[in-house]
Amino acid sequence: MKSLWRDGERQREVELTALGDGRYRVRVDEATFDLHAAVMPDGRMQLSHDSGSTVAEVTAVGTRRFVRVGTLEFVLDRESAARRRSGAGAGGGLEAPMPGVVTRVLVIVGDVVEKGQPLMALEAMKMEHLIRAPRAGRIARLAAATGQMVQGGATLAELEE
Amino acid sequence: MFRRVLIANRGEIACRIAATLHEMGIQSLGVHSDADAGAMHTRVCDASVRIGPAEARQSYLDIDAVVAAARDHGADAVHPGFGFLAENAAFAEAVEAAGLTFIGPTPQQIRDMGDKRAARRIAEQAGMPIVPGAEGDDIDALAAAARTIGYPVMVKAALGGGGKGMKPCADEAELREAVESAQRVARSAFGDASVYLEKLVTHARHIEVQVLGDGHGSAVHLYERECSLQRRHQKVFEEAPSPAVTAEQRAAMCAAAVRLAETVDYRGAGTIEMLLAPDGRFHFLEMNTRLQVEHPVTELVTGVDLVRAQLHVAMHGDLPFEQSALHRHGVAIEARVYAEDAAHGFLPQAGTAMRVRWPHGPFVRVDRGLEAGDAVPVHYDPMLAKVIAFGASREAALARLAGALDATRIHGVITNLPFLRALARDPRVAAAAFDTEWIEREFLAGFEALVQAPAPDLALAAAAIAESLGTAAPSSGPAAGGTAPVAPDPFTALGRWRLPGGAS
Repeated sequence: MKSLWRDGERQREVELTALGDGRYRVRVDEATFDLHAAVMPDGRMQLSHDSGSTVAEVTAVGTRRFVRVGTLEFVLDRESAARRRSGAGAGGGLEAPMPGVVTRVLVIVGDVVEKGQPLMALEAMKMEHLIRAPRAGRIARLAAATGQMVQGGATLAELEE
Repeated sequence: MFRRVLIANRGEIACRIAATLHEMGIQSLGVHSDADAGAMHTRVCDASVRIGPAEARQSYLDIDAVVAAARDHGADAVHPGFGFLAENAAFAEAVEAAGLTFIGPTPQQIRDMGDKRAARRIAEQAGMPIVPGAEGDDIDALAAAARTIGYPVMVKAALGGGGKGMKPCADEAELREAVESAQRVARSAFGDASVYLEKLVTHARHIEVQVLGDGHGSAVHLYERECSLQRRHQKVFEEAPSPAVTAEQRAAMCAAAVRLAETVDYRGAGTIEMLLAPDGRFHFLEMNTRLQVEHPVTELVTGVDLVRAQLHVAMHGDLPFEQSALHRHGVAIEARVYAEDAAHGFLPQAGTAMRVRWPHGPFVRVDRGLEAGDAVPVHYDPMLAKVIAFGASREAALARLAGALDATRIHGVITNLPFLRALARDPRVAAAAFDTEWIEREFLAGFEALVQAPAPDLALAAAAIAESLGTAAPSSGPAAGGTAPVAPDPFTALGRWRLPGGAS
């Protein structure tokens, strides 16, 4: 079974082949190795390998996976379709980096802006964050107004070339 | 003796105050917003009263709602914790006007020290060195003053605190942008847009002295804490004692702090924050008229329960101990656990903490406001807990802290634990070779490279195997997307109250 994972900025591919008795052949990108997985009563897994064993714990929240291996922790995202977590500037839109309240809108539709120019101010947890233009362009649409509460990831504005 | 105390706060500090009240046989009355219905602090308090909707302004910051809860539910006193209304003079006045005891300083002391400009003048009168600065609302006048003082300068909200609205400026263009932004943040956060500026002391260490005053002119100190490990003026690690001050500096700083507290007849627990410049001189920064987030490190090295001491002063109007009875030994270091994504600009996070495991063991203390299944709401400060380690030496305390942070596991909400773990194992932290700008100047770049490295193949394998086995769902707590447990009805909960004083 193949699965795709987002690891920070990277996409990783895992292919899992069950060999029976809790044994697996695992391919992660270019590397292939065998593992034995034993599920513990609390849901953690003991993963054994020729060179030793470690305890892993995986918690799913939507597509996100919180993974603890030994004492190291990682956050991965399960990639289903072509949907990618869009960073600011990945598309034409500008997304709120976190939930908050729009305290100022510094541009109007039609404004030509330079890269790095502040477009809006978002306040959350008493900190003001300036939303800056990820690149030069023209404001095609404003999707948030002063005083509006926005969710993390909500589109605030759209920039066109 | 108080019979019932209302805790006007939430999260870990509400839980920590409730623990001391419980120990003293005093009933604890919590308060909660709709977003915190069923939150950990409502569970550890003997009962909890709903005070409003999620928005802090309509709940934890609503003076009338909090005072009404205290009065209507038979509290004798109110402990404000820190943040929210803790340094709000109007709140202290409203509590006293309702015939209740405010566990903290007088409204006038809160007002004087809350206005950082007035505090500077008071400190100067008490003989404490202050950093050159200027105040006023006119940006041109501030710019002129900054030219005289010399850049870099720091712009601060006059009624601020906790680093909110604080910005360093290298030149006049930055100053103008910073003043405007600070005024806006100050108006929104503190209801007053006044700002002031101070000469920025670079490569300084942040040292603060804990004091306790009886309100009648006597005060003691409980030694210093070092809080130089900061990111954007928010403390990350705090420790006692400071690894940087000499015995002479310690004596001078503690004496100056006691003199300031005694000058204003300070009542209750307070902290005098100072900057220790590279030339060895210290300067007054501000006085915080409340319990500090980092009070546990002082408690661990002095053996004093500061909340109990606050209650003693509030109940008896005298100090529970004399200076000569106070000693310290060992080293305590605290790390603040925040729901922040350290790998992506420390953006605050919210969600449900599906799996939570806190460290335990000898000499490890965890002040927490979160257990498995609890929600982390978007509406409040994202601090979840403090992990504090004690050791006979700084080396032992730091090693123990690193181990405790490794043993901590929070799944469901992204936290700053990777950042804290990396800090605890950094050789510069071990050598205590840092100042207040060190994290941003030198540590963050390496940390970012570290968190951007690919996850090990084993982590990917674990995720894929868990998915095929269906073990990725938590074994306890709500399912993904579930809600926190339903709040107990406060009036049902009241029926379970212990009744001290033999009335059981």
